[in-house]
Amino acid sequence: MSEPSFFFSEVNERQGVFNRRVFLMGGLAGGGILALSGRLAQLQLLEFDRYKVMSTANQFNFRISPPPRGLILDRFGVILATNRPNFRVLMMRDELHDVGATLDALSQLIPLAPDRRQQLVRELVHTPRLVPIEVAEDLTWEEFSRINVRAPELPGITADMAEARVYPYGGAFAHVIGYVAKVSDRDLLAAGKSPDPVLHHPGFRIGKQGVEKALDLALRGKAGASKTEVDAQGRVIRKDPEGDVQAVPGKTVVLSLDTDVQNRALEVLGTESGACVVMDIRTGDLICMASTPSFDANRFVKGLTGPEYRALADYERRPLLDKALSGTYPPGSTFKPMTALAALESGMVDPEERINCTGQMWFGNRFFHCWKRGGHGSQNMHDAIKNSCDIYFYQTALKIGPDRIAEVAKAFGLGQSFDIGISGQKPGLVPSTRWKRERYNQPWYPGESLSFGIGQGALSANALQLAVMAARLANGKRALNPRLIKSIGGVETPRGDAAPGLPFQTQHMDLVRAGMAAVANDVTGTAYRASQLGLGPVLMAGKTGTAQVRVISAAERAGGVRSNDSLPWRLRDHALFIAFAPYDDPKYAMSVIVQHGGGGAAVAAPKGREIMRVALLKDADVRARITSPMPLPEVAPVAPGEEQEGEAPAPPSEVVPPPLSLQGVVRP
Amino acid sequence: MTAGGLTRPGERNRLVVKFSEIDWTLALLICLIAGMGSIMLYSIAGLSWAPWAANHLVRFGLCFALMVVLAMVDLRVWFVSAYPVYAIGLVLLLAVEVVGDVSLGAQRWLNLGFVRLQPSEIMKIGLVLALARFYHGLPADEARFSWRLFVPVALIGVPTLLVAHQPDLGTAVLLAATGLSVMMLAGLSLRVVGALALSALAAIPPVVMFVLHDYQRNRILTFLNPEADPSGSGYHIMQSKIALGSGGLLGKGFGLGSQSQLDFLPEKHTDFIFATLAEEFGFVGCVSVLALYLATITIALRIASVSHSHFGRLGSAGVTATFALYVLINGAMVMGLAPVVGVPMPMLSFGGTVMLTVMIGFGLVQAVRVHRYSEITSGRGTLV
Repeated sequence: MSEPSFFFSEVNERQGVFNRRVFLMGGLAGGGILALSGRLAQLQLLEFDRYKVMSTANQFNFRISPPPRGLILDRFGVILATNRPNFRVLMMRDELHDVGATLDALSQLIPLAPDRRQQLVRELVHTPRLVPIEVAEDLTWEEFSRINVRAPELPGITADMAEARVYPYGGAFAHVIGYVAKVSDRDLLAAGKSPDPVLHHPGFRIGKQGVEKALDLALRGKAGASKTEVDAQGRVIRKDPEGDVQAVPGKTVVLSLDTDVQNRALEVLGTESGACVVMDIRTGDLICMASTPSFDANRFVKGLTGPEYRALADYERRPLLDKALSGTYPPGSTFKPMTALAALESGMVDPEERINCTGQMWFGNRFFHCWKRGGHGSQNMHDAIKNSCDIYFYQTALKIGPDRIAEVAKAFGLGQSFDIGISGQKPGLVPSTRWKRERYNQPWYPGESLSFGIGQGALSANALQLAVMAARLANGKRALNPRLIKSIGGVETPRGDAAPGLPFQTQHMDLVRAGMAAVANDVTGTAYRASQLGLGPVLMAGKTGTAQVRVISAAERAGGVRSNDSLPWRLRDHALFIAFAPYDDPKYAMSVIVQHGGGGAAVAAPKGREIMRVALLKDADVRARITSPMPLPEVAPVAPGEEQEGEAPAPPSEVVPPPLSLQGVVRP
Repeated sequence: MTAGGLTRPGERNRLVVKFSEIDWTLALLICLIAGMGSIMLYSIAGLSWAPWAANHLVRFGLCFALMVVLAMVDLRVWFVSAYPVYAIGLVLLLAVEVVGDVSLGAQRWLNLGFVRLQPSEIMKIGLVLALARFYHGLPADEARFSWRLFVPVALIGVPTLLVAHQPDLGTAVLLAATGLSVMMLAGLSLRVVGALALSALAAIPPVVMFVLHDYQRNRILTFLNPEADPSGSGYHIMQSKIALGSGGLLGKGFGLGSQSQLDFLPEKHTDFIFATLAEEFGFVGCVSVLALYLATITIALRIASVSHSHFGRLGSAGVTATFALYVLINGAMVMGLAPVVGVPMPMLSFGGTVMLTVMIGFGLVQAVRVHRYSEITSGRGTLV
């Protein structure tokens, strides 16, 4: 059948126009459909990946099950942080019919305060649809069973067993380990663009301080998830066990700390505000890092009440501050070995050269005093360290200048932060002429050298640095680095002794060490009585320090220096002590700081001795050396009003103390 | 059947001859699209004939039969009934204004007791018929541009405004666009078309801001930025785009479209059925179905162009334009190119009224094809 082609045979004008217009309309329709196809290509081919992801996110729902948090152990495997079962009641918003009725029924089974109820109703509004809400936790087994039995009458309520963090030693490790607490908005922000979904899980705790914070990701593990297919209303259509993700438990973290030493440090420091760091010289392991007063980390896991927190935050002795890392103090006389070593290294000071100490010296426009009124008399370097003679070190510091001292101090770790795996170290300050110029745009005044030489003035350090200083002095060769975290998930972290050596001459170091040995073992040494370990041939070397926190006026000095006990706490001197032992074969180094504690020899050194004893007794090599432990010599209580430092009684004039060598000490 | 056989007087009026003159290619294409619709409805219901797929097929069967019957109806009968159909539509629209059911905040339905009638659907056919009849008697130069064009403008304008007032924005736009298409096919000056298009574009912002209801305005604002509030008013467009996009090249497979099976997709069996198709059969499936639509439109337009009567030409091309507009508007809406307006995908979407309208339209197209040689001589385009 032949039909007229609409293109060429124009029957009349109207038909011609119509045919052209039909052609136009067909073109428009074709163009429209082509455009739709183009759009389809864009959505389905070019942007496929993006929409695929969105579709999967719609379709599947992962119910998160948080992994058990990794344990934290001490060097011998003693548990410092673990998890305990925690019976909870959760509320699922999408399964809830009548909030009021459900909570009424629930309040007959477990105690539910009215304000907690209001809080829950508020939370219900703000929580995402599929995130359950924690109604109560730490239920007793009876309460937990009661809810489980009545579960069918409580739609939207589930009782589950989660884990809660627990610190068996409470406060002993609170500053090192830190604690976990509820995830805050700031934590979520810090987690970046796509935070781990487990952070939204009710009752999930995140590390907030110390090791818990620094190693949070390793300790956290990977959350497991059960995959369910859901419809648009969030109803579960189907479970997909094959899509389940198994939870990966958090890694076990082993610390270098020794629970016994740490606990002893806490006992010894008692209610004092102080810090103690003990280091294994052979490996750099920190076996004790204590700060007192401490706080119970378990309280933070549940969440502190306002008054509880304020009580901790407002207390004068600052329990929340980690004094081992964040507290910086003038090291006082514990710094004198640095000045001595700098003098020897400079070649400008002969160790046998004697300086006469009369108890005071005039410099600039005022007197500088020695701690001993009346002076020490003629002192060589060994005597000056042993007696902690201030005049000797004033003169020495003046002679060699601040920069040589600063250089040595920095080589021993002062003024720097160490990579020990947790944050919060305050590096303190080692002053120098350059620092003075840059910081204050002023020249170094010679008077400052005097203070610097005896560890005061602008100089400040924390307990960790002082322990490292003692360790490097004892070890002699290596710029030993501290190590706190021994292994993570079974993988050992690098040891602290893989460090370059110290660029100082051995005989110079020996000289300084001999001085420190004399401090502790020469009967005239400042810390003789406080340093007797009672461990037979195993002896300690040390250096006491008493750092002033106030200026003693001339008038006050004339009227007799006031004893610390008569001063308000915050004006008392800091007591410091550094030590290493056994001094002929050093294995452990330590620092003790007692903030506003009084005299270094009277307060800090006895505490150091007690802590050091535990460390030494736990060491198999040391125990082998002690054939017959001797009883401790009697320590006479320090009478109030005595001199600030060096309470050792003056020896009978005719008894000359035997010379000390590194090889062996004649015990008195 | 030979061409010679048809030259015998009266031969063309025999039913058997008429039946054989129906364009069976077009009929097959329509069946394919409706069949595809059934398949999708079967899938959406979770691989079940109830509640939609079987119903859809039965309705389509009835409508197909109606189309065949209407194809036999002499074109002169269509011509004569043009104005009455339009008049009935108009009366019913006015009746809806007065006594219509209010459902979903809009007066669209007239409850006749046994059936709920949507007068705007009758008007879609009535308008095309009335315009075709009017232009049948109008010379080319007057159709181009003259004062007499106030008649078609009124024919289009009155029902459009009534429908818009219900309010049913989608149908109003469809009516206006259909009317304009017929005027253009009849030879309206392209300059006028251009000017009208421009002024319509210019009128959009004030209409959106001051005339539309809040929910209509929100739909349009949402369309402009659907991702601003993906769980609120942008939800439909967003979920539809997710369904489309996640289909990819070959789709997720029959019955496996998660967006539609799990109710994320709104109106999945009616307005958004194309998104289901896209999700389960992918780009290939979509383009195939769009090709079926394009073939249908092309064949229908070709039928229009071979008609000997101007009424037949305009009538069949007019209903084809309506059909094409359905496809384009629904497609654009599902793909996020147009605001969400209640325009279904013809033959694919579930819904009796629209299918009836479209099939009556194809009945007219087939009637034009069957009666393509018949001349309609009676009179000019008077309003009687």
